[in-house]
Amino acid sequence: MVIKYLLKFFLVLFFFVYHNHSKADFFKDITFQIENNDFRLSYGISVTDVNQDNKYEFVVTGFGFSNLALTYQNGKIVNINKNEIFDDAKRKTIGVAACDIDQDGFEEIYFLNTDTYSGEKKYSDRLIDNNSDSFVDLFEKEINKKNLNLTAGRSVVCVDRNGNGKYGIYVANYGGPTRFYELRTGQILDLAEQLKINKITGGRAVVAGNILSGKMDIFAANERGKNFLYYNSDGYFQDIAEDYKVDDQYENGRGTTLTDIFYRGRLDIVTSNWNGYHRAFVLKDNKFKDIATPTYNIPTRIRTVISADFDNDGYDEIFMNNIGEPNKLFKIKENGFFEEINIKNAYEANGLGTGAAVADIDDDGILELLIAHGESGMQPLTMYKADIKKDFKYLRIKPLNKFGAPARGATVILKSNLRNHAKTIDAGSGYLCQMEPVAHYGIRDGEKNISIKIIWTNGFTETLNINELNKTIEVTQK
Amino acid sequence: MSLLKKIKKFILFSLFISFSMSQPTQATQFNYYADLVGDWSEIFPDQNRNAAGPKFFKHILGKKITFQDFLEYNKLYCAVSGSLIDPNNKPEFVYLNSVENGEKICGFYHRCCVPCSCDLMKYSKVKKMNYTFTDGEKEFFVLTISNPCGKDDFPMEVNKNYFCNGKKLDAKQVYVLDDRLVIGLFHNASKCNEQSIAAIDKHEITGQYCAFRNTAPLEEVKGGMGDIFIRLAKEN
Repeated sequence: MVIKYLLKFFLVLFFFVYHNHSKADFFKDITFQIENNDFRLSYGISVTDVNQDNKYEFVVTGFGFSNLALTYQNGKIVNINKNEIFDDAKRKTIGVAACDIDQDGFEEIYFLNTDTYSGEKKYSDRLIDNNSDSFVDLFEKEINKKNLNLTAGRSVVCVDRNGNGKYGIYVANYGGPTRFYELRTGQILDLAEQLKINKITGGRAVVAGNILSGKMDIFAANERGKNFLYYNSDGYFQDIAEDYKVDDQYENGRGTTLTDIFYRGRLDIVTSNWNGYHRAFVLKDNKFKDIATPTYNIPTRIRTVISADFDNDGYDEIFMNNIGEPNKLFKIKENGFFEEINIKNAYEANGLGTGAAVADIDDDGILELLIAHGESGMQPLTMYKADIKKDFKYLRIKPLNKFGAPARGATVILKSNLRNHAKTIDAGSGYLCQMEPVAHYGIRDGEKNISIKIIWTNGFTETLNINELNKTIEVTQK
Repeated sequence: MSLLKKIKKFILFSLFISFSMSQPTQATQFNYYADLVGDWSEIFPDQNRNAAGPKFFKHILGKKITFQDFLEYNKLYCAVSGSLIDPNNKPEFVYLNSVENGEKICGFYHRCCVPCSCDLMKYSKVKKMNYTFTDGEKEFFVLTISNPCGKDDFPMEVNKNYFCNGKKLDAKQVYVLDDRLVIGLFHNASKCNEQSIAAIDKHEITGQYCAFRNTAPLEEVKGGMGDIFIRLAKEN
């Protein structure tokens, strides 16, 4: 009789445990934290320190709506921007990236405006410099007016092509020449022709980082044309996409990011295609091989793709933000297996996703995921974070270059008894977006002997042993 | 020229123009769709493309092309209906049984409309095929049905002369693999894993809708090709 009761008790207990477990969701919805979260048309999101307080803000673009600078204050996400040029509600901004182009240690913000689908547009882009507590658009200076970008574009990415901390900005235009802006003797110059990267294509997504050369290479996922993979040779570029089998010319490129699929200490290219096969390009025998299989590579109406360790288990997830179709989440397990995670929060069956970015905006060691919506209908922003227990471990590495600016394009490699895990300091990725310039690692069960190697944008390396976890470590380039 | 023929010609011309306009901006990119549209009269001399995916497949194989070209061409017609489809179409992720051992093979099917996915999953089987293209020999999975030529109820809507020479498949007009009729290419196909099968089974089309369509009595099957392909492919 007692055994029967015990059996019954355990069966009931098992049911409730199982039931509760199955109801648990990967993400929790924290959208309520966003103040004045109106219906709007938003696109790209970047993460940078807008107000120079050594904390990051989400910069959210508005398409005929205000550009926002969202910061975390007392449990709320609030827009701190009060500047008209930054706000710019009259223009239609879609792409955004930030980096230090003038070597003052603070990042300038490039807003890519587009008011036509393709070809010539009416309003130029903006390049915002925070100058003595006031935002200035460097393109409004007389000296720079002859170099305005008046071609419809999509994404922008920052490139420290010479590895000296002097960032340039690659602008992926649509139906017009690609541009590459750098500040030289106080003037913004377009060097794309000189660098032989002024190709005309349907530019969509673009990423830059340590892909092959040991310096910052560029991968551009294009529409109606071949992708570009620009190999960096002493600051000049050579397109090797075809040779390395990443040209994918019959697909229409969208969300792209760099991630270490095999946890082997090098960056691979994860790139998606609009209603086409999504790719996971890993380097093997001097060629990239697409190892993506179903259900990961099933065509969707894809926009942004993000790779990050949301749940701090030491394995990266890939978040796929679709427009007018549910979002998807995969965990990159060992040997390149992409395990699909069923999500309820962030599923957004009716979401019109146009951009997304991650950052630990509230500094609690768990990444926040902010999603922008718009294009075919006004929707508010949404925000999520992994719903995990409090006993997690993490490590955040924030490399700063010799000017004190985020070393976007540097590579951080976590080495331990369990993995060699490379992450890029994001220079621009996803699609129209840019993530926080921090390498965020969850720590695996049983992980020990942790050290960090940083490959700076000039190819030089630096190694440090890690004795303490659950913190952000700033490392400044010597 | 009859009015019907004029209308058909006009529709084909309009399709050609509209899809030509929507093709890539780079002049170097070959327009596979326009090429197939141009070949239409050669592929279907009587203009009847009903269930004639096999004709497209054989026609494409007859071109001197690379494997990549072969893949691109085979995205542009529906293997079930024989209809040309939008170059920007989104393929369906489906599973089919292998002819050899019955195991589930997962892959992508470019279809003209939703019901075709269901008909394909129920009535077609896949086989591995090898073929030498201009860039070498490749192995891939193809969609097949059993030889329909001996059927007493061969659907009248389909031109039997396209496929058959008496009760045998006509290898001059269609590609025959171990006495099975190849109706199209199964893209990016490989043995299914559990994750893939679960995704297909819970998908609103390949799961829910197909479960409904594929359990309906034949006389009640509507949509897509109706029951034309089913009658052609159904094994007696």
